[in-house]
Amino acid sequence: MPTLQINGRRVTVAEDATILDAARKAGVEIPTLCQFDGLEPWGGCRLCVVDMSLASWDDDWFKVVTSCNHPVEEGMTVLTNTERIIETRRVVLDLLLARCPETPLIQGLAREHGIDQTSYAPNPEPDDCILCGLCTRVCDHIGVSAISSVNRGWGREIAPPFHKAPPDCIGCLACAEVCPTDCIPYSTSNTRREIWGKEFEMLRDPKTGEAVITKAQAQHFAERSGVPTTYFETSDASKRRQMAKTFERLGQLK
Amino acid sequence: MRMIYKVSVERCIACGKCELACAFAHGSEGRPAKTRINIHRRGPELGTPVVCFQCDDAACVAVCPTEALVRNPETGAIEMVRDRCILCRMCVAACPFGNMLWDETYHCVQKCDLCGGDPRCVPFCPTGAIAWVPVEEAAIPPEPLDREALAYEVGAGG
Repeated sequence: MPTLQINGRRVTVAEDATILDAARKAGVEIPTLCQFDGLEPWGGCRLCVVDMSLASWDDDWFKVVTSCNHPVEEGMTVLTNTERIIETRRVVLDLLLARCPETPLIQGLAREHGIDQTSYAPNPEPDDCILCGLCTRVCDHIGVSAISSVNRGWGREIAPPFHKAPPDCIGCLACAEVCPTDCIPYSTSNTRREIWGKEFEMLRDPKTGEAVITKAQAQHFAERSGVPTTYFETSDASKRRQMAKTFERLGQLK
Repeated sequence: MRMIYKVSVERCIACGKCELACAFAHGSEGRPAKTRINIHRRGPELGTPVVCFQCDDAACVAVCPTEALVRNPETGAIEMVRDRCILCRMCVAACPFGNMLWDETYHCVQKCDLCGGDPRCVPFCPTGAIAWVPVEEAAIPPEPLDREALAYEVGAGG
């Protein structure tokens, strides 16, 4: 179990922990945007940068690393509030604010770091997407990979292949759920759902007509888990109702 | 001693105290969470508490893409490792009994974990319809509930 020092606080963490894990354990706050506990660290937003020095290095030698994907080591020293770290974070947030000038999440974070107005030219077509990649990573993790990031530089965006309705999408809405800025539009009702330009038919409860998931979702779940599709047909409320009725029948049998 | 969560449907009076206890035990800052135990109300003062069975071969565990659902060998409960959950809600759709619940307030999946071996709903049940008992006592049939005496006790029977 390696022991390290974060802002002067000593903390012992598990072998496979990252600097971010250790900082959270030590009660040191590091801002993050693209980090999500259920997913592999990615190091995409560069907001979680910290100054790090190993025990074997010269005393005054520090390196800037992303804390979310940097493994801890015995005797490591981490500083999260040095001048150059604060400046790096400010630049990252300044650029993000230029890209997304109307996004409350970014506005709030920028204000916390003392930026009210971006010093760059704000995006003429304000966008809420911060390109954190959470949606594509969640989609990969579910085993669908319907969307990905396309193009580079200024033109980079998250989109389905060829900007057409993604054939692999199952309409689970996990991407929209995980999005930190809620910028993935979708519509859902009891009969149909629409996301990424693809329309889905809902799997409706044969008795009550309630719908929970799409037909494509049920098929995908059934294929990967071996659970029969009939499991997905009924809504959870109506499953509970059925269960309760079974109990009543058991009582009468006695 | 191995303990088990026992539900005696005959004794439930559908008062809803277990639902409230659960909702507040798992909520924070005074906001109730989605209750993990649900009473199916089938008549005046007649209810069937429906709660996770902690199935041996559980559908929720089978569909989870991130292995976020794991069994706790001590309590026998299938517990959710929040750090691994990616909110895809496959388990909610897969549970054949409707006991995986999507919580709109907290944006997470709620799942009975037997409160780590001390179910918070049990002490609130006035009739013992839900109980936390040693495994050996699980098969003992529950005593019938004298509903009239109970009504008299609480002053509703006049």
